[in-house]
Order: sequence, then C-alpha cells, then structure tokens
Amino acid sequence: MMQVADSFETLPFLDVADPNFSIRSQAVLNARDESWCAKTPYGLAVLRYDDVLKLLRHPTLRQGSYRWPTHVGVTGLFARWWENMLLSQEGENHARLRRMANPAFSPKLIKDLRPKFEILANRLIDGFAAKGECDFIAEFTEPYATGVICDLLGLPFEKWRELADIAGDMGLALGVTYKQDLATVDAATQKIFDYAEELVALRRAEPSDDFIGTLVKANEDKSKLNDQELLDMIVLAIFGGIDTTRNQLGLAMDMFIRHPDQWALLAEKPELARAAVEEVMRVRPTITWVTREATETFTYNDLEIPKGTTLHLFSQAACSDPTVFPNPEFDITAERNPHFGFGGGAHHCLGHFIARGDMTEALKLLAQRLKNPRFNGDVSWLPDSGNTGAIKMPIAFDPA
Amino acid sequence: MKIDVDLTICLLHGQCVIAAPEVFSFADDGSLVWVTDPDEGLRADAEAAADACPEQAIIIS
Ligand code: HEM
Ligand code: HEM
Ligand code: SF4
Repeated sequence: MMQVADSFETLPFLDVADPNFSIRSQAVLNARDESWCAKTPYGLAVLRYDDVLKLLRHPTLRQGSYRWPTHVGVTGLFARWWENMLLSQEGENHARLRRMANPAFSPKLIKDLRPKFEILANRLIDGFAAKGECDFIAEFTEPYATGVICDLLGLPFEKWRELADIAGDMGLALGVTYKQDLATVDAATQKIFDYAEELVALRRAEPSDDFIGTLVKANEDKSKLNDQELLDMIVLAIFGGIDTTRNQLGLAMDMFIRHPDQWALLAEKPELARAAVEEVMRVRPTITWVTREATETFTYNDLEIPKGTTLHLFSQAACSDPTVFPNPEFDITAERNPHFGFGGGAHHCLGHFIARGDMTEALKLLAQRLKNPRFNGDVSWLPDSGNTGAIKMPIAFDPA
Repeated sequence: MKIDVDLTICLLHGQCVIAAPEVFSFADDGSLVWVTDPDEGLRADAEAAADACPEQAIIIS
C-alpha cells in the first residue's frame, strides 16, 4: 500500500481510519473535485460516479473483505463461515452458489411476502402510535428488519428479539474488537447455525416452496450445493439482511425529518414510496462504500494499481457527483441515474427485491400514520463511514 | 422462445451471465451479448436469468 502512496504523490489524501472521518465531509467533496480517486491509509478511495460504476464490474477486482478474519488474526466458527460464504467467493464457485441461491430470492417468491410486510409494519406502528413518540430504531426499524427475516424463514415474529441479539453478537466480528469478542461471536455463530439446521430439518421432513424450502430443493444435488453451503447461505441471509435494513430505514427517517415537505408528499402520494426508497439510498446509503481488491496489477485512468491494493468504492460520494446529478437535493419525484446502495456487478445484493419490497411498504405506511415527525432527543449514530446508521433515534409525531 | 434485453435499463451486472451462461455473455469490449432465439431446452436457464436480473431488463417471449 505504501507503493501506491509513493507513486501517487499528487492524489488527495483521506484519513478514513480517523474515528471522526465523515464520508459526507467537505474533505471528501474537495477530493472528488480534485481527482477521481484519493489515497487512504488502506489503499485507494474511488469518488466519482462513472468510476464507481465501472470498477464495481471490473474483471481484475475481487470483493475485498474476505480476508478480514486473517487480517485480525482470528480463526473459529465465524471466520470459517465468513471466508466460505457467497460474498467472499469469486469466479466459478461464486457463480455456482449464486445460481443455487437465486430462486430463493426471486421476485416471484418475494411478492407473496408483501402482505406480511404490511401486517408487520402496522402491528409495530400500533404499538407506539398513540403515544405520539417512540425510539424509531428500538420500536420500529430493528423489530421490522428482524421480523421480515422471520417472515422469510417462516419463524414466528416472537423470535425477533432472540434473532436480533444473535445477529448483534455476530456483528461484533466486523468491529476492531473481534479478537477480544471471539467467544461471544462464535457462541452466537453456533446458535445461528443451530437455528438454520433446525429449519432445514423441518423442510426436509415437510417440503415447501418458501425460502428455506427452495434452498433445500437446491441442496438435493449435493454436488451443486452441499449441506454446509446450504447452511452458510441461510446464515448469510439472516446476518446480511438485518442490520442493513435496520440502518437503511433509520437513515430514511433522518432524511425525511430534514425534508418535511417530502414526507407530506409521500403521505399524499403513497405510490411514490418505491421511488422514495431509491432516493434515500442515493443520498444516504447505509453501506457508504464497498471494497474491492486488485487480483493483478492493472492500469486504470492512467494510474498503475498494484496487485493487492484495496479500493474503497465510495457509493455515497459517487451519488452526489455533480456531473451526473446536477441537482443533487433530496427529491423523491426526480428521475435519477441508478445508485450503488446495493453494490453492483457479480456481488449485487441478492436480497434487494426483499429489501426494496419491505422498505417500500414501511415508508408508505409510516408516512400515512406518522405526521410531522421530528427529533425528540439525541440521536446516537454509528461512525459516518463504512456501514452507517442510527442506533437510537427518539422521535415525536402527530398520530394520524 | 425469443429473448430481448432492454439495454436502456440494463446496468451490465452480469447476473444473467451467471444464471444462464449459454444464453448470455460479455463481449471483449464489455458489452452484453445474448442468443436471441435459444433452444427450448434453455428455457429454464433463461427464465432464471430474467428472474435474477436486478434491473428486470430481460424479456422472454
Ligand atoms: C437495505 C438493505 C440492504 C442493503 C443496503 C444491502 C446492501 C448490499 C450490498 C452493498 C451488497 C454488495 C457488497 C459488495 O459488493 O461488497 C450486498 C450483498 C448481499 N446482500 Fe444485501 N443489502 C440489504 C439487504 C439484504 C437482505 C435483506 C438480504 C437477504 C435476505 C441481503 C443479502 C445479501 C447477500 C446474500 C449478498 C451477497 C451477494 C453476493 O456476494 O453475490 N441483503 N448487499
Ligand atoms: C450481506 C451482508 C453484508 C455485506 C454485503 C457487507 C459488506 C461489507 C463490505 C464490502 C465490507 C468491507 C468494507 C471494508 O473493508 O472497510 C464490510 C466490512 C464491514 N462490515 Fe459488512 N457487510 C454485510 C454485513 C454486515 C453486517 C450485518 C454488519 C454489522 C453488524 C457489517 C458491518 C461491517 C463492518 C463494521 C465492516 C468493517 C470491517 C473492516 O474494517 O474491514 N456488515 N462489509
Ligand atoms: S443481469 Fe440484467 S442488468 Fe445485468 S447484465 Fe444481465 S440484463 Fe443487464
């Protein structure tokens, strides 16, 4: 990585390792004006729309976080899963796993879940609407995101707390304290695998055409999806679907509280909910960057990028790039170029039909039932980089 | 069976290439190419590709 820094003296520098670094800071905008890319303590940051679009699909790049457990010097249950699951795989192995998983994530299967999303959202809103206030994360986005996964897996909603806690403990693996938290992380990983095994046993005994049933069907030919890969995929759906959705919906509320006219418009025109999801993910994506790693030395925009270099593709900065978004203000009625909130290319989010479906339902109902939402105390935030979002968001509103 | 791709919304993710490699592929210049009237035997693959396409750009008729 020093090599990159040395050979590219002229590139701007962004200290993404600084705990106070913000992906939305003026420093990032200045760097984007100056160059298509910046140096960081961990490699390069790609800042402009066209370059993020191209590099997400670049054949010389592989997904970049597969090495995380090795990087922190950890082995164990979580590490084994992380290194073997879909997101960490490339080429033919990735393609095979993705082909096997696709039917379980298909838009047809998801359509059947839409009415359940509506019931879930209304049930949660019923729980706090009369008070005129709530912690939007604890009382809505977290139980909603987890409840959606319960619906997907065919688990009763009552399981949500347990599932959220397990996923939270597992999530410690992605923080800098992974090594210290290893016992907690691996205990949670064991629990989630026990869950997955139980669900699989149920579907083997009683075949079905729901999410797990569809994966179990793919597992009939073990050479295409073996037993371990089946469980790894179910665990990825649980782990990858909860915090992402929780965070993204919290960020949506943050945007709308700052743009009350847009919230009123959404309440009036619920058919805008789908576009609202896209516009929120453009200006305020929870996954603010995705990482890629160069598998070979290659040249891009006249820059020689050495093998092993990590590239952070800044979805957040790219989607306010003035050359593509001349009027970048938050506007749910605007026609826009596509955002990168679900990544792109071979690793494009497999759960996006689910996430788009559940967030559309949620925003539609929230806008109708919570009028004039406003902050009602201090909001606690994750760092404004990497995977971001609110962990506590007290709000007040006028019940409709 | 006839296959069409709405190239105005296709974003070249290549999910169709993963789902149905005998129908879809990338040309050397990076553009998407596909068999416009594949064998009926490839229908299941083609439908899997149409389902998997994140932009829902594939039309089978
Ligand atoms: C708002 C919610 C969500 C967001 C913002 C999101 C975002 C993303 C992003 C950015 C990636 C690509 C990462 C990369 O290229 O490095 C991804 C991949 C993935 N997501 Fe999501 N996701 C969400 C919800 C879900 C849900 C609900 C599920 C499952 C039920 C899911 C399952 C997956 C899987 C399996 C992958 C890996 C795909 C592959 O490697 O081929 N996601 N997601
Ligand atoms: C399918 C689901 C997921 C996808 C596609 C995904 C994507 C990614 C990617 C691309 C990175 C690399 C970023 C980097 O190296 O800085 C990463 C690392 C990270 N992810 Fe996720 N992630 C998923 C699930 C989660 C969940 C559920 C959490 C939160 C509990 C999380 C939190 C983190 C954190 C904190 C890092 C930083 C680790 C590092 O510095 O390398 N991710 N993830
Ligand atoms: S999956 Fe869809 S968007 Fe991607 S290349 Fe194929 S047709 Fe285009």
